[in-house]
Amino acid sequence: MLSSPSQLPAKGEFMDKQERLGERSYKWIYDLKSWLIMLPGIVLFMFFVWGPLLQSVHMSLYKTRNIELVEFVGLQNYIRVISREDFTQALLNTLSYTFWSLLIGFMIPIFLAILIGETLKGKGFIRTAAYIPNILPGLATVLLWKAFLSAERSGVFNVILGYFGFEPMVFLSQSNLVIPIIIVTATWKGAGATALIYMAGMAGINPELYEAATIDGAGIWRRIRYITLPAIFNLSSTMLILQIIFIFQIMYEPLVLTGGGPDDASLSLMLLMWRYAFGGNMDYGRASAVAVLIALLLLVFTTIYTIVNKRKTNWDM
Amino acid sequence: MSKPLRTGVIRDYDVKSPSVKVGLVFIYLVCFVVVVVSLFPIFWVALAGFKDLQEYVSSTSIFPSVFDIDRYIRTWTQLNIMRNYINSFYAITGSVLCALLFNGLLAYGIAILKPRGYKVVNSLIMFSLLIPATIGIVPLFMNIQNLGLGGFFTPLWFAAGANAVFVVLFRQFFESLPSTIIEASKIDGCSQLQTFFKIVLPLSKPIYVVVTIFAINAAWSDFLLPYLVLGDGQWQTVMVRLFIFSTQQTVTADDLMRSVVFSMLPPVIFFFVFQKQLTQNIVTAGIKG
Amino acid sequence: MKVYFRLISVILALSLLLVACGPAAPSGGGDTDTGNQGGGDSSEVTVAPPSELDDISTDVIDANLTATISLGNWPPDTAPDAERAFFEGAKAIMLQQYPNVTVVPAYFSYTLTNYVPMALGGTAPTLFQPPFTDPQLLISQGLVADVTDALEEFGILEKFSPSFIEMLGDENGRIFGLPRDGYVLGMHININLFEEAGLMTEDGLPDFPRTLQEVAEKGQIIREQTGKAALAFMASETQGGWIYTNIAWNFGAVGENALLIQDADGKWIANLTSEPAIAALEYIKSLRWEYDILNADATTTTWGSAHTLLGTGEVAMNFAADDAVDNPTAQNGLAVDKFAIIPFPAGPGGAYALRGGTCYMFAPNTTTDQAVASLGFLRLIGMLPFLDDDIIAGMRAGAAASRERGSPVLPRTPAWNDEEFIAMQRSIAEEYSNVDMRLYDDFFNSLTDGSITFRAEEPVFAQELYRTITNAIQRVITNEDADVFAAMERARERFQEYLDDEIN
Repeated sequence: MLSSPSQLPAKGEFMDKQERLGERSYKWIYDLKSWLIMLPGIVLFMFFVWGPLLQSVHMSLYKTRNIELVEFVGLQNYIRVISREDFTQALLNTLSYTFWSLLIGFMIPIFLAILIGETLKGKGFIRTAAYIPNILPGLATVLLWKAFLSAERSGVFNVILGYFGFEPMVFLSQSNLVIPIIIVTATWKGAGATALIYMAGMAGINPELYEAATIDGAGIWRRIRYITLPAIFNLSSTMLILQIIFIFQIMYEPLVLTGGGPDDASLSLMLLMWRYAFGGNMDYGRASAVAVLIALLLLVFTTIYTIVNKRKTNWDM
Repeated sequence: MSKPLRTGVIRDYDVKSPSVKVGLVFIYLVCFVVVVVSLFPIFWVALAGFKDLQEYVSSTSIFPSVFDIDRYIRTWTQLNIMRNYINSFYAITGSVLCALLFNGLLAYGIAILKPRGYKVVNSLIMFSLLIPATIGIVPLFMNIQNLGLGGFFTPLWFAAGANAVFVVLFRQFFESLPSTIIEASKIDGCSQLQTFFKIVLPLSKPIYVVVTIFAINAAWSDFLLPYLVLGDGQWQTVMVRLFIFSTQQTVTADDLMRSVVFSMLPPVIFFFVFQKQLTQNIVTAGIKG
Repeated sequence: MKVYFRLISVILALSLLLVACGPAAPSGGGDTDTGNQGGGDSSEVTVAPPSELDDISTDVIDANLTATISLGNWPPDTAPDAERAFFEGAKAIMLQQYPNVTVVPAYFSYTLTNYVPMALGGTAPTLFQPPFTDPQLLISQGLVADVTDALEEFGILEKFSPSFIEMLGDENGRIFGLPRDGYVLGMHININLFEEAGLMTEDGLPDFPRTLQEVAEKGQIIREQTGKAALAFMASETQGGWIYTNIAWNFGAVGENALLIQDADGKWIANLTSEPAIAALEYIKSLRWEYDILNADATTTTWGSAHTLLGTGEVAMNFAADDAVDNPTAQNGLAVDKFAIIPFPAGPGGAYALRGGTCYMFAPNTTTDQAVASLGFLRLIGMLPFLDDDIIAGMRAGAAASRERGSPVLPRTPAWNDEEFIAMQRSIAEEYSNVDMRLYDDFFNSLTDGSITFRAEEPVFAQELYRTITNAIQRVITNEDADVFAAMERARERFQEYLDDEIN
């Protein structure tokens, strides 16, 4: 496995090498070699991530004809995109997605983690079952939910309602329910995996803390409040920002389930971008403008998050 | 006593109280519901695949009238899903290799080599963690076409080599490696690259397992970039096919549901085989973040 | 170590599974070859091609033409055997006529969203079939090939009417495609549900609705008698607006009340709050809240799922055209004698029907050789406007294949104004007829007797108009209290803004 200390070369050899090259040029060569090792990865990042992002900014300033840049139009794409009503709608919807996802999608994994953590028998099985939806391909699960949420009598939820003697309901065409419903489907997929991470965080709590708290007279609720929750606080704030980033990307769910409807009630910013690019307009300039706006919004969110988070830690100190 | 000890908030001495006992029953009830909610949709879609078109569209029963496995076999052979399975296998293999090699090397540079200026790269990677990848999809697609790389897996493979999450996972693990061993190898006369392959890599098996599992899952599930890259060519993966089925009216609704089953089968099997690695390693890797 | 062991066991488990599920699974070895086999690794066609194909001469037409063409809309492996046999048979003859041409099946079915990435990525099939609404957009974006020379070689150009040149050409007179066939929007009927509801005439024919009002009333009877929704309404994406425009015309949204008008300066005006335009949306709203005859999932119903609903007997009526008779029947299982198509129901403002069509166009990188070869194939399946023996045999073979797979064999709405050609198509349809023409007479008579006035799609940005109107439709059919005028006023504002942005 590892080279044992006895195999180490005499220290002198190493020194010789350094002296020959000179401290400075040795460092220089070391840096160069290190950069060369990182280079392939950096090139790939440039091609697949950073480059396209910059190009999006560039392209958003042009009028486009399929993938060619036709003429520089300054901020006109942004003005046009923002002034149209569907942008306001998509922005509000995206905020609504975020709200519901924080309400449902953020809380449920924490509850799950605490509950599963309290089980003894069957813990492994429960954990496994809750995790499974996460490994299924996203597109497949969305298609599956579409069948569940169908308003026809053969829609799975309506079949179940029928077993209990209820009349069929409509789900996705209720404009005030469509976003929470989509969030529930996304939570179904992700909650188990997130709960698993929280469980790991809770496993790090020393049980003696609980015992000590009990001696101090703390009941179960107070132990959760003053030991469990603080222990996962940092973790949960990381999960929070990840969740916001994730929910800003929501696109396939509304695309497949509702097409953004009814009456744009489930249109997200990302879906708006998709519409500009692939929805029949082929307007890649404006699609890029929407993309850049989404990126800017996320940047604002994360900056606020970092500032708040820093303050919080400072207070804790 | 073989009974395992409670490790959670509720301690063994709490269980004596009747209200806590009721609470525990409640907890098990909730967990039971969680299990049902998690698994039912999967069972349902497998059952739905046994229905023919008429039954699928009209039936108000969860269960099919007959369990005719021929329907699955027919869809499987008629749509020639096998070919897509093989294509997905190609896509996954290349993606995993690229994900391990390029992200690993980059993280090695950031976490261990730390040449002057590495912090710039690090913050760029942290930054790209914040921005959804889909945002650059249009120009990325253009670049791929301009280079004439469309129609084959190459761009998909290399795209897996530029994954910020993987880099961060690697970096965190590498940083936790004892620095003395690395120093020792330097003194040993190993070049940086040798150090990576001889020292760092063997020590980092757990994180390699985790990233492999993630990369497999990502490569299997991804469809937007694969669809844009592979198009209607002969290399379509399972998910690209499913995406096309769901947007073009070329297959009937019952065939679509069976295709959904085919697309979920390998991940489910994979999961049961690697259950332990997934639930344990992902947690340990994730927890450091 | 354990990991590797598990990896191996996964591979084993997977391969066992595959073997268990796929007795006929092919080796997949043909994938890497240059496409000579093309889709050759698809499952075997068990039915012989129609014997009519034997009448086509197999003499070599051009031995030097070397090209590989991929042909979109090739019947997928799930298509009925008869249809696949027809295409496979045609392909075999093609290889004799053009020994150096390779035909690769492409199962691509055109939608703009799907096509664009493929065209840009170079994976679009050589030949594909967009609707009449899209050629100008594709041409202006440079996403289709100029095939003027190939069309000239076949002598097709001289058959082009001025309107085709306008539709398929650019400002320099270059031509980018050719029409396949036309369609006229009407209504598809599932006769089973009419029978169940007791809506039958004395001659044993379904008692069809003739007006939009009757659609509502008879639909109500069907719903009450059968418990099924009476009408599929595809109020999703752009499709709701597409159907709406035809309904609006029949409420009188034509002439000065048209949905899109030009003022004296040539400025385009979105005229969506005229009386007929409002009445049409009121009508759709009443179908949901007053008569309650729409399918429950209307806001997510697409063109494809509407055909599935009709074909499987979940709805009795669906606004659809005569080029889609295959969808409810052969594809979704409705017996061919339980299907009918009737004219688009008339409204208080008249009886109009949308006439559109489908054309053949070519991927942007198509060479003249490839275009010539593709046209050669179209001649084989009887889709070129000539009447030589080979084409007639191809038309007959196509009709035979349709009959074989349970799709109604009907006269087609011609794309070409060639009397002789149309007459030949009709006589072949009669010869191979598998339907009671009384179920279709109303529709086909209306095409010629003047009882229906044809209209083309709205002149500019039709897709965007449809999308905007679909939003208004979704609003009023999901909310009983929604105000129709407000919904249309909002649509008008949005679309006017769009027009001002784009062309005014």
